[in-house]
Amino acid sequence: MRRAVEPQFGWEGVRAVMAATFFGEVVRAPCRAGTEDEEEEEEEGRRETPEDGEVRQQLARKREVRLLRRQTKTTLDVSLLEKYPCSKFIIAIGNNAVAFLSSFIMNSGVWEEVGCAKLWNEWCRTVDTTHLSPTEAFCVFYHLKSNPSVVLCQCSCYVAEDQQYQWLEKVFGSCPRKNMQVTILTCRHVTDYKTSESTSSLHTPFLKALKTQNFREPPCCSLLEQPNIVHDLPAAVLSYCQVWKISAILYLCYTDVMKLDLITVEAFKPVLSSRSLKSLVKNIPQSTEILKKLMTTNEIQSNIYT
Amino acid sequence: MASQYDRAITVFSPDGHLLQVEYAQEAVKKGSTVVGIRGADIVVLGVEKKSVAKLQDERIVRKICALDDHVCMAFAGLTADARVVINRARVECQSHKLTVEDPVTVEYITRFIATLKQKYTQSNGRRPFGISALIVGFDNDGIPRLYQTDPSGTYHAWKANAIGRSAKTVREFLEKNYTEDAIANDSEAIKLAIRALLEVVQSGGKNIELAIIGRKQPLKV
Repeated sequence: MRRAVEPQFGWEGVRAVMAATFFGEVVRAPCRAGTEDEEEEEEEGRRETPEDGEVRQQLARKREVRLLRRQTKTTLDVSLLEKYPCSKFIIAIGNNAVAFLSSFIMNSGVWEEVGCAKLWNEWCRTVDTTHLSPTEAFCVFYHLKSNPSVVLCQCSCYVAEDQQYQWLEKVFGSCPRKNMQVTILTCRHVTDYKTSESTSSLHTPFLKALKTQNFREPPCCSLLEQPNIVHDLPAAVLSYCQVWKISAILYLCYTDVMKLDLITVEAFKPVLSSRSLKSLVKNIPQSTEILKKLMTTNEIQSNIYT
Repeated sequence: MASQYDRAITVFSPDGHLLQVEYAQEAVKKGSTVVGIRGADIVVLGVEKKSVAKLQDERIVRKICALDDHVCMAFAGLTADARVVINRARVECQSHKLTVEDPVTVEYITRFIATLKQKYTQSNGRRPFGISALIVGFDNDGIPRLYQTDPSGTYHAWKANAIGRSAKTVREFLEKNYTEDAIANDSEAIKLAIRALLEVVQSGGKNIELAIIGRKQPLKV
C-alpha cells in the first residue's frame, strides 16, 4: 500500500491508496484512513493565512453591535441596564409593535432617550457602516423622565443570529438584575402559525403569549401552543430571561399584513391591561388619533394591489 | 414541507394543494374590499376606494369596470392582472356579439374569465392571476346575476358576496342582514351594500364607490 502525499481530485481528507481487489488487481482507490503524517499535511493546508485572519476581523468589526448615546456620541462602557437599572423593561421589535408603543405608551409622558444600538448586517439598507447617521439609529432606548425605572426599547431593525448575543450582552450585561419585569411585543406572519384547526377559521390578527417560568401574572391572551416556536431577537431575549430567571413575557401578534397596518397595531390593545403597561397608558382616544396619523404618513402609495 | 411544493404551479403538494393558487388567493386579500349584492330588480357593486397619492390622477384608478353595456365587474388583487383579464373579457364580449349577434350572458362571460384563469393554473412557466372578480349584470331575460371568480378558476353564483381585505367580516354581516325585505326595493339594496362596506372601510363614506345596474337600465357609477 502506498500512501499518497497530495490530495487526489481535490478531495480534502481523502487520500488515494493502492488497494488490492478480490481478483488480485491492484487499483487506486480513495481511502479516508489517515495517519499522523497526513494529518500534519492537512493542517498546513488549512492553517489560516494572515489575510484570512484580517478579513475575519474586519467582518467582525463591521457586524459589531455598538451601543452609544446619540447626544454625546460616546459609546457606553457598561451595559445599558447596568447604567440605567430598571424595574420594567418593555421591548418592541418590528414596525407594528414599534407603532403600538409610539402611539399608546410614548404619548403618556416625557420619555428621554438614553441610548441607541447601531449595527449592520445584510438586511440593512445602508451601505456605509462606519458613519451611520443619527437618523438611522435602529434600536432606541428611552426611559420615563418621571419614573426612570421604566425603560422602553424600540427596535425596528433585524438583528442577525450572530449579533443577538452581542446585543443581549450590551443591553442586559453579563449579570442582570433579577427583580425586573420584561415585556416583549412583536409580530409574525400568520402563515408561520401551525395549528390543527382549519386556517380559514383563524381571525387574524390575533395575539399569543409566551412567558418565562418566573412570570407569575396571568397573561392578557392565550399562550402559544406547540409546535409553534418564536424566532430571532424576541426568542433570544426570552431565552436569556429564562436562563437568568428574570420574569418576562412575550406577546406575539400573528397577522397577515407585515407592513405597518392599523388593524395589526390595534390587535396589541389587550396588552394595555397588563400590570406593567396599565400605569403607563393615559389617553386612549388621543393615542388612536396619533396612530391614524402615523399610518397615513407611512402609507407607501403602492399601486400594485387595488 | 410546503416550501418544496410551492415553487412550480404545475406541481401538487402531497396533501393535494396547489400552493401557488392558494398564495394567489392571499394576494387577493391585499386588495381593498368589494361587495356585491343581487337585489330583486337591481345589482349593486360597492368598492372601497384606495387613497391615492397627492400627485396622482384619481380618475385612472378604477376598481369597477364595464365589460359591456349590461355587464360590469369589480376586482380585488393585483391591478396589472386585472387589466389583462378585463381587456380579454371586453374583446370576448364584442367578438361574441359579432359572431352570434347576441350580447353575452353574464354566465358566459364569467365562464370565459374563469376558464382563462384556470388555464394559467395548469400551464408551465406561468403563474395564476392574482385577482378575484365580482361580475354583475342582467341577462336578456331580465334576471339579475352576481358571480364571483377566484384565482383557481372556479366561479359561483351568489346572492351577495364580498372579496378583498376583510371580506370575511363583510360576508358575515351580509349573512346576518341579507333578507328578502332588505333587497325588496332598490334603495334598500343600495343601503345594504353601503352598510356592509362601512363595517370595514376605515375612512368613512367618502371612500366608497358604487356601481348600479337596473333592469333595462345602463350602468351608473
